[in-house]
Amino acid sequence: MATGSDRSLSRRDSALFFACVVLSLVMLARPDWGATVTGAIRGSVLRPFLWMQARAEASRTSAAAFDILRSERDSATHAAEFLPSLRDENQRLRSLLGLGARLPGRYIAAEVLHQSYPTDGRTLVLSAGKRAGVSLFDPVVSAEGLIGVVRIVEQERSIAMTWIHPEFRASAFTLPGNVFGVIWPGAQVTGTEQLLQLRGVAIRDSIPEGTLVVTSGLGGVYPPGIPVGTVIGQANEETGWERIYVVRPAGNPASASQVLILKTTPDTSLVRAFQADTTP
Amino acid sequence: MIAIRADRSRLWVVLGLLAVLQFAVRPRLGYPLIAPDFLLLALMLYAIRSRPGAAALAGFLVGLAGDAVTPARVGAGALAHTLVGYLAAWGRAVFFPDNLFINGVVIALGVWIRNAVQLIASGTGPGGLTTQLLVWAPLQAITTALMAALVLVVFQRWLDIRLEA
Repeated sequence: MATGSDRSLSRRDSALFFACVVLSLVMLARPDWGATVTGAIRGSVLRPFLWMQARAEASRTSAAAFDILRSERDSATHAAEFLPSLRDENQRLRSLLGLGARLPGRYIAAEVLHQSYPTDGRTLVLSAGKRAGVSLFDPVVSAEGLIGVVRIVEQERSIAMTWIHPEFRASAFTLPGNVFGVIWPGAQVTGTEQLLQLRGVAIRDSIPEGTLVVTSGLGGVYPPGIPVGTVIGQANEETGWERIYVVRPAGNPASASQVLILKTTPDTSLVRAFQADTTP
Repeated sequence: MIAIRADRSRLWVVLGLLAVLQFAVRPRLGYPLIAPDFLLLALMLYAIRSRPGAAALAGFLVGLAGDAVTPARVGAGALAHTLVGYLAAWGRAVFFPDNLFINGVVIALGVWIRNAVQLIASGTGPGGLTTQLLVWAPLQAITTALMAALVLVVFQRWLDIRLEA
């Protein structure tokens, strides 16, 4: 038989459990309250830990960059010794990959601080914040294409909402064809790959597979010309007035380790900056 | 009393070490979705040595910290970790012999349940949910369980457990 003390402890356990569950549900119902609390946690308790993670990410990417440089040096030596014609081609390809050099405006490079939670990828903690010049609604891209948009800015870091987030939307059009639509995160997942949807395409328009989809610049957030993905087919889900296309994304937020936060004006076209990476 | 306090402080040292590993070492361990979750491991180690109420509160705080760094749906992480912490503490009398394999299985189950609750609470669609729960969550559960086995073997005296062979 349980003693009075045991019953009291048991009641206290249940009360604590239900209090925690209720608080969690309140934050789910009122995201603004939750955002205030989590913002305070990021700025206090988690601050040294996030600093530590930013250092770890930086050293990891530095190590990776060193490996790449070393392998490039070895390739260059090999080419110089045996195939001089390939050396020029290699140099040309490397210069094409330098997206940063091709961007017409200013940008801020940032490391992505990935977390261990299953919802990591919908939002990304970036190692650059207000101090580095990041502002709210700055577009975030990788070398492959669109990643998302900055939604929270703090002094030393910022948080981006990516295209995986259920609330993500971006105006886009196809190249070639200039068919306009709105990009949504898709419900479909093929294997381990999350897909996008191009919605709101006029029923009279059809888009062939393999067509490139880029941001249109409408809405004033994303500059025109950032690759979003490639059309891989038409979705089954169709309403009476629109076609929906399935798009394979260009950039993958879940595996991106470094990104560029764009500071270009929303009317600056980036088609040329990305062209070398996206044209087959 | 002094011995108990010493044991408790050793537990806190291990938990602190796991928190540091989460932020300083985990980023170097490859693909983020399958790298071991040291914070959840710390929560489970604490929960199986605590009363359910304290474990639920610890889970809530760990979840809140998680929501702070992945604010896709604030509250989902807190809810998931609260449930996992409470269940781990509540169930320890039933299925926690000092057996390395059982400990690993329970911790792996904790990772999977946490991921499931967090994904459902944050409104993940059926397609994404299936992939996450059948591919990524089991892989992360396995890596976390393996790390748990390592921690239990290395710190078995500090954690005051007598592991069966």
